[in-house]
Amino acid sequence: MRVLEPWVAAPLTELLGESGARLALIMTSAGQVVAQHGFTRSLDVMSAAALGAGILATTGELANVVGAPSGFGAVVHQGGQQGVWLAGFDTPRGRWIGLVVFGPESSIGLVRLFFARFAEQVARAAPPLVPVREVLAEGFERELDQSLRALFGAG
Amino acid sequence: MNPEEWSDALRQLTGITGVLGALIISADDGLVVAETAIDELATADVAALAAALVSRAARCTAAMRSAVPSSIHLLAEQGAVLAVAGPPPLWLVAVARHDAELGRLRLLLRDFAGALR
Amino acid sequence: MALAGLGHYPSVADAHDLLARIRADQGDDAAAIAAWHAALECDPAHVGARKGLAFVAFRARDFTTAERQLELAAMHAPHDATVMVALDRVRSVQPGAVAEDVPRLTDPASGLLLYDMQGMRLAGGVGDDGDETLADAVAAEGAGLTREAARLTRLLGLGRTRHFLVETADARIAMIPVADDAALLLHRGAAIPIGRLLALAGRAAQAADEWLERMR
Repeated sequence: MRVLEPWVAAPLTELLGESGARLALIMTSAGQVVAQHGFTRSLDVMSAAALGAGILATTGELANVVGAPSGFGAVVHQGGQQGVWLAGFDTPRGRWIGLVVFGPESSIGLVRLFFARFAEQVARAAPPLVPVREVLAEGFERELDQSLRALFGAG
Repeated sequence: MNPEEWSDALRQLTGITGVLGALIISADDGLVVAETAIDELATADVAALAAALVSRAARCTAAMRSAVPSSIHLLAEQGAVLAVAGPPPLWLVAVARHDAELGRLRLLLRDFAGALR
Repeated sequence: MALAGLGHYPSVADAHDLLARIRADQGDDAAAIAAWHAALECDPAHVGARKGLAFVAFRARDFTTAERQLELAAMHAPHDATVMVALDRVRSVQPGAVAEDVPRLTDPASGLLLYDMQGMRLAGGVGDDGDETLADAVAAEGAGLTREAARLTRLLGLGRTRHFLVETADARIAMIPVADDAALLLHRGAAIPIGRLLALAGRAAQAADEWLERMR
């Protein structure tokens, strides 16, 4: 498991342990990765994050079209061997998205149960916001590099 | 049994003294199919956890080279969870206080689970 | 003379039986038991050996072993009146004793299994043949079942697990936590009444708790 925000670690550990999830990806609604577990390639993480954020955004539009303006709680895709759970949740840092991949050893019900607990724990664990410092162009590459190393444990 | 009859059966189960709720779950997904419960009971949580328990019980009986579980009965200090298998993947589940009429509940669960279709 | 006979015919169960009876008369129960077990190795259906083992057990006030040996004798000699009389005698000494075997942790064929929360078998077994591989597999799954039950009761606010029962078409299984780090599983046929299964399991859990204390 790799996390950018250390206070996400404990709730994510519990989510993984209790739900038996195989893969987990936590990201902002803009698709920026906050934490991940189980992915082995950065390309897969980036792709999953972008696709997940896109799916939820599309689902939100669908909710508006069908007259459910408060949106849908989660999107679930159940395959023969794996299922995918995708849901947004509010945090003090804004709207985040969780993507959980699970196998037959788990279930939609278990993922739903422990994802809800995860979201509550993240909301409680988030430290107070610090003023956002302006990211200068010369610092951008360095910060991106640091984030990727944190997610994949290269440094 | 149709969904209306399911609801009627669930109401009868929750009519037993001490029963906090009764639900039909899909053991494959851990999701609620039908339910009747008092407000405090988190039926979605019951469905997920009961399904996980059924799955574990099935693994245990398989290890023993025994048949698949047809019912489970969990008694704790402050309550009980009873579940009886219906036609797969449905299970009929009841949550009760520890002082509920568990014997009667068990018999009714078996009767109704057998009629689930 | 008995020893000489055994020297010539070591595979004759009756010879071992005779030696055992002599040893028992001499008060050497340990030697008698060994000789009767030797008789059973030659002939597992030797009723005399079973009766002899029951006799020394009864004399040592181990009524459980006495009853079990007589029941095994009765299986091979259902019309032997002396076995039935002896069984009645043993059972009458223990008022309220249940007819079926009282499960013992030291008997791998007892259907009684004690395991820790890591899924390691501590004692006992399941199945009639004492298959250790089977018992280890059941211990591993049993631990997962015990943890799952504990998780359910914790998350639903039901307190600690008292017992867990599973019914199948051919079996009834009771699981009882024993101390914080172990659990007991009792496996019986589907015909046993639930209440009796739980009563047996409760007694076995008490014995298991004491056994664990002694181990520590």
